[in-house]
Amino acid sequence: MAEGGLRHAGHVSWRGVRNGFRRMLPLAIFVVPFGIAFGAAAIEKGVSPALAILMSALVFAGASQFSALDLWTAPLALIPILLTTFAVNARHLLLGAALYPWLSACPPRQRFAIVGVLSDPNWALATKAYESGERDAGFLVGSGIVLWIVWLAGTAIGALVGSDLGDLSRYGFDVLITVYFLTILIGLWRGRDDVLPWLAAAGAAVVAADLLPPGWYVVVGGLAGGIVGALRHDR
Amino acid sequence: MIAEAEALLAVIGMAAVTYATRAGGVWLASFMTITPRTEAFLRSLSSSVLVALVVPAIVKGDAASAAAATVALGVMIVTRSAIAAITVGIVVAAAWRHAIGFMS
Repeated sequence: MAEGGLRHAGHVSWRGVRNGFRRMLPLAIFVVPFGIAFGAAAIEKGVSPALAILMSALVFAGASQFSALDLWTAPLALIPILLTTFAVNARHLLLGAALYPWLSACPPRQRFAIVGVLSDPNWALATKAYESGERDAGFLVGSGIVLWIVWLAGTAIGALVGSDLGDLSRYGFDVLITVYFLTILIGLWRGRDDVLPWLAAAGAAVVAADLLPPGWYVVVGGLAGGIVGALRHDR
Repeated sequence: MIAEAEALLAVIGMAAVTYATRAGGVWLASFMTITPRTEAFLRSLSSSVLVALVVPAIVKGDAASAAAATVALGVMIVTRSAIAAITVGIVVAAAWRHAIGFMS
């Protein structure tokens, strides 16, 4: 662990915001078709265009928004929708905790504003940047904002113009996010110390994916890997 | 027919729940004393969350996603370019599915 890492942590600057924005942009473009798919699916379910766009703006978490559409029947079952939203997004809890060493040096108010745009892709990119010495928390904000913009734009196109895109898997877009996370993982590889935690995470996630409601396998796998990592540290 | 007010309430509720998941992790972690061991936990947690996202998607996905992931992994290791790896991965998945489509 680098000494004094925390001392340099915890500033937010426009340079960081711009930097995060620029670094995320080429990948964020790929989010547009997913936004279009969501917007079109929402209209199909009888959600008004305005509400679909509002959902993307306020919720800003694709997987949970698609899950909510599955439950979008009259009368609206509010509690199941909210519980599903929580289950699908519970992995954010781990993302936030993992960012704590970085964000702990920001004042709480700033910290809780920054995580407003926290999502998997910008968290992954920022984690990689942190590993290579980035300490400007503006990076998270900028990379989050660009994702928010393209998600919103995509939703608006899908909701207002409609979509002839059909099944995105036909174009291979469904593998996008998996492959993207894979490329980030390669950057995070630190050597043999990672083998056991990663095996634990993979095993636990695969088993949990069969046994638990949607979304929880990420939480179970992440915790399993984290715990193995902490235990190995003791030896 | 779902009343617009009811739908609006659901969206606001979803937004609140989702924000709670985003803020909750940072908030809970603030009660943790950062020792070398918790730091090891958080570091392993970062990469393990990604492993937990990626591995089930490949294992439970179709052959096209597995092929795409394998080829993309190779491209990433050789070129170190995420964009190259992702582009090749998408092309492999699409080509694989078209090939299957032609055969069946």
